Amino acid sequence: MNIDYSQELPVVEGRLSLREIDDLIARPMDEKPNKKYFLALSFTLSLMSIGAVSVALTLYYGIGMWGNNQPVGWAFDIVNFVFWVGIGHAGTLISAILFLLRQKWRTGIARFAEAMTIFAVMCAAIFPVLHTGRMWVAVVYLLPYPNQHGLWVNFTSPLIWDVFAVSTYFTVSLVFWYVGLIPDFATLRDRTASKIKKVIYSVFSLGWRHSHRNWQHYEKSYMLLAGFATPLVLSVHTIVSFDFAVSILPGWHTTIFPPYFVAGAIFSGFAMVVTVLIFVRKVFDLENIITINHLEKMNKVILATGMMVGYAYGMEFFIAWYSGNPVEQFAFINRAFGPYAWAYWIMVSCNVIFPQFFWVKKIRRSVPLMLIIAIFVNIGMWFERFVITVTSLHRDFLPSSWGYYTPTLVDFGVLIGSFGLFFTLVLLFTKTLPVVSISEVKAVADGAQPSHHGGDH
Amino acid sequence: MSHDNLNFVKKELPTGFKNLGLILLLVGIVGGTISFFLNAEQAIFNYLLAFMFLMSIGVGALFLISLEYVAGADWSTPLRRVIEFSASVIPYLIVLSIPILLNLHTLFHWSHTDVVATDKVLQGKSPYLNEMFFAIRVVVVFAIWGLFYFLFTKNSKKQDITKDQKLTSINIKLSAVFIPLFAITASVAAIDFMMSLEPHWFSTIFGVYFFSGSVLAALSVITYATVKLREGGYLHPKMVDDHYYSLGALLFAFVNFWGYIAFSQYMLIWYANLPEETFWFLARWEGSWIFISLALIVVHFLVPYSVLLSQPAKMDSKKLKFAALWILFAHVLDLYWLILPTFHGESNFVNTILGFSFIIGAIGLVMLLFYFNAKKTNLVPIGDPKLEKGLNFRL
Amino acid sequence: MEQQKKVFGLAALFDSPDSIIKAAKTVTDKGYKNFDVHTPYPVHGMDKAMKLPPSKLGYVTLTFGLTGAAIALLFMYWTMSVDYPMIIGGKPFFAFPAFIPVTFEVTVLLATLSTVIGMITFFFYYPDNSHPIHDTNYMKSVSIDKFGVCIEATDSKYNEEEISKLFADLGAKSTEIIYFAEKVDRKIFEPKFITLLIVTASIVSGVAYIHLNKILYLPPFDWMMEQSRVNVQSMSSFFNDNFGMRTPVKGTVARGFLPYEFAGVNEPSSPLANPFFPSKENLVLGEKKYNTFCSPCHGNFGDGDSRLNGQFPLPPSLHTTKAREWQDGNLYHIIVNGQNVMPSYASQLNIEERWAIVNYIRVLQRAKNASDADIQEIKKESVKNVSR
Repeated sequence: MNIDYSQELPVVEGRLSLREIDDLIARPMDEKPNKKYFLALSFTLSLMSIGAVSVALTLYYGIGMWGNNQPVGWAFDIVNFVFWVGIGHAGTLISAILFLLRQKWRTGIARFAEAMTIFAVMCAAIFPVLHTGRMWVAVVYLLPYPNQHGLWVNFTSPLIWDVFAVSTYFTVSLVFWYVGLIPDFATLRDRTASKIKKVIYSVFSLGWRHSHRNWQHYEKSYMLLAGFATPLVLSVHTIVSFDFAVSILPGWHTTIFPPYFVAGAIFSGFAMVVTVLIFVRKVFDLENIITINHLEKMNKVILATGMMVGYAYGMEFFIAWYSGNPVEQFAFINRAFGPYAWAYWIMVSCNVIFPQFFWVKKIRRSVPLMLIIAIFVNIGMWFERFVITVTSLHRDFLPSSWGYYTPTLVDFGVLIGSFGLFFTLVLLFTKTLPVVSISEVKAVADGAQPSHHGGDH
Repeated sequence: MSHDNLNFVKKELPTGFKNLGLILLLVGIVGGTISFFLNAEQAIFNYLLAFMFLMSIGVGALFLISLEYVAGADWSTPLRRVIEFSASVIPYLIVLSIPILLNLHTLFHWSHTDVVATDKVLQGKSPYLNEMFFAIRVVVVFAIWGLFYFLFTKNSKKQDITKDQKLTSINIKLSAVFIPLFAITASVAAIDFMMSLEPHWFSTIFGVYFFSGSVLAALSVITYATVKLREGGYLHPKMVDDHYYSLGALLFAFVNFWGYIAFSQYMLIWYANLPEETFWFLARWEGSWIFISLALIVVHFLVPYSVLLSQPAKMDSKKLKFAALWILFAHVLDLYWLILPTFHGESNFVNTILGFSFIIGAIGLVMLLFYFNAKKTNLVPIGDPKLEKGLNFRL
Repeated sequence: MEQQKKVFGLAALFDSPDSIIKAAKTVTDKGYKNFDVHTPYPVHGMDKAMKLPPSKLGYVTLTFGLTGAAIALLFMYWTMSVDYPMIIGGKPFFAFPAFIPVTFEVTVLLATLSTVIGMITFFFYYPDNSHPIHDTNYMKSVSIDKFGVCIEATDSKYNEEEISKLFADLGAKSTEIIYFAEKVDRKIFEPKFITLLIVTASIVSGVAYIHLNKILYLPPFDWMMEQSRVNVQSMSSFFNDNFGMRTPVKGTVARGFLPYEFAGVNEPSSPLANPFFPSKENLVLGEKKYNTFCSPCHGNFGDGDSRLNGQFPLPPSLHTTKAREWQDGNLYHIIVNGQNVMPSYASQLNIEERWAIVNYIRVLQRAKNASDADIQEIKKESVKNVSR
């Protein structure tokens, strides 16, 4: 238990040599996938096919296949959208914000988290696009292009901000991810024996030569990208929160939404990263690179963001009472004790109560327990979006239009399908690309940097 | 592990610094007293402004201390004393709040029972907004801050002598407890002292808004003090410009954060356009207030943003000093914008000018506290195990 | 063979980051310019050792970021306040706070893309997979765990022996001479390449054709075209007569075809009142329509001097006392109803145009019979115009 605060913890454990790091990270790509991999893949693919059937039903018969109807016009579609976008935010946070904060422990998990960002945003995009109904003509009202009607999209609508935010976020995350991959492609190119692989790696490595004259600009660009990705990730979930908060609906219109949504996004995203990383480090023997210390740090972030979310719940409740606005007060009482109280208390217990176990160091460092808590957090954060969306809508201003929302099988099918897509992409990623950034991990390995760098020179 | 930190030689701050602080404080006290007798109502609003200024610096710095411990940051360890000194106003807040508690009727609309009797909304709020509970909250909030300030600094000072690593781990645990408490207490303070000035208005983000401003103010004080002290050779000789960079980057980040929070609050209220919320902004859009509202965007966001944008600027001591002072000024303007529109009484020119004496006094107080603290303790936490790591911090 | 190859440069490998920093420093200090250091990851302190100026990539980012912000704001301003202004949610046309999110996103998008594209093109001089350094043992080592420095033959101080000695002194583990690869002619009109182009083109056009002409006409994609309603002038078995369209109810008035109540009446005693104010636009319209439809017979100024040179009976002047004292409705009546030889113009002119002509005729009449006060007014106006 006694920590020596004067010493820095090694980022990479087990004193690996640089060549060993290469071998370790590249191994999943060199080996043929085993039976377990195919088993996992067939499982995720079957989840995906459930989703495919549901999507086909939705496309063929229309949105009527879903459960949302007056007064709950937004339901699973936006809940899942916000959930997946939120999952994505952890990736950018780890890769960009922790980079700017010079947290070296991010190197082991950054690549993986970035990949999850991209996959999660892809999953997220399914839902709003499906909800446009005829998605093959959605471009007409989603993008500003000159048309014969002389119409433009409504730039004052938060839904259009969403289109811009999510597409920018996806593009920038992809570019950021790819820029990080360039040196790794070069390393893979130089170590592979297969001819076909070599051509592919050469093309993607853009002729990278590990030249320091390039490294200099490369590092600068990486910092600039991180500098842009940081406000971008805030803006994306802020804009997602604007979807709700610019309205005048009690329960949606509250000024704390932007930072609260961002905190919630990071919270859920970290939980998802922990969930997936636990398996990845086990399966690919990456325990020395994705160490238990890294997981502990992530659990601390989960604890911190969980409390931020708890603060927002409390503040919303307090101000609802403090505002003296009866409609506002009703909305919150109804949330906690109305027909959807079950959802509300699932949310509170999973998001606020369960993460409190992370105060205990033993739990923070125990892999099975953190897995359980992380899964609870994921469930809780999904329910948070459900609570915000559905409970605020199901009690309309006129009691005659009150209703109760029940999702249909197709609703669940699309949700399951999105999980299938996400995990399929994750599985494919682990076999095709280095799950850990080779060059970054090498740069923080013991003895990788010149002694007495800086000052003396 | 070599003990290079023994190279550190303590240097006394010049007495001129103390004298300047004393003069400023006296100017503040004299000007403030005159102002109070000329126009008590305006004076007390100006006093609240200066009080919030001190409070935001103190509690912002206290938060930064705990953040350093809990995040395991080491670059800021060589500057931790500067941060601790910036927080040293906290024990005095309870004393400084006495004039406010004595003048609740002047400041707070909700303290008039006759008004509340005819106002349904205020009646609803009266379980929270009443004089007794207000006073209790003030005492509890300042007691919590004072307690943690006392514990943090006690352990930190003790470590100078004992070099005991256990003290660091105690402080880490204290910080972990403090941060959630801080979130609640700072929000309560913000709501009580500033939001409830306009008791009908409400905004859930207000606590976060105050938090962003107060951390920014504390950071500016720390940055300015660090640059000045290092130039005078009071800090550890092994400190380099890379430490400046971290300060500059944090300042830059919080300038952005403030802009983000301020924009979010304005945007949502502007867009939804509900009369029970917009009136607060409309009051700041009337008459000459519109200029302050617009100036705030430029002064509090655009100027520091452009000054600190480039990477070399974050390491440039001149630019950092300018940015720090500028942000402090912007913070005062922000507080002015938050507090003074609720002052509806008669104001006159002399008293408006005299109102500045409160802020001058507050600055003097910060300087004096700095001087006496620096006299009692080392300007560098020489016993901290993270010090060497912190000194070797490079980008 | 070996001798004919062109030398690219001389490279040396080192084992540790410390030695490469030292090597880079020495090489820089010796005055070599065209050299490069190759490391598997960025080594701290190398910029200083190589004396590299700070990267200028930030300027690209700044320029394009600002451009993005300007483009986004101007575009939104133009669409929302100029091209198709619409009041949305009671907000002004130029709702600045609501434009900030999109402005921000476009700024970030342009800034990041330009940074990466700018880096690859201007700072890396485009992707180069045929660089001589590729596929050498040197490259394969620095790619994994060695640190290398390579002095190029183009350097003015390049001298193989001297450099080998320098490298040996610095403690290099191995040195290697790197040659340019022999040039291979790459023809554009290679059959394989042409085939690839043709296949790509046919796939793209085939997919586009099938998509636009077949898939979009299949359900559910055609559900916007195929709707359960009766199309105009189509059959419907719902009605006995199988007509999809029905005769309108008696008394139905088509839009823009309000019936004229004095149709066929001669000089109505209480004609319609003029609903149009003689605004500038209205008079301009009236002038245009008058010149088109009325002036051939009534003359350009209503004097009854037909341009038709007697091929048609001359109409009366519009400046007779009768015409001047008539109400606006009477003039309108004649336009709609016709008079004597003059036919009805109801089918050529819509209601607004008819009244505009009436207003214009009033202008002509006043001009022909200007009062002193009118002349004074005109003089004043002309003085003003001259002084301007």
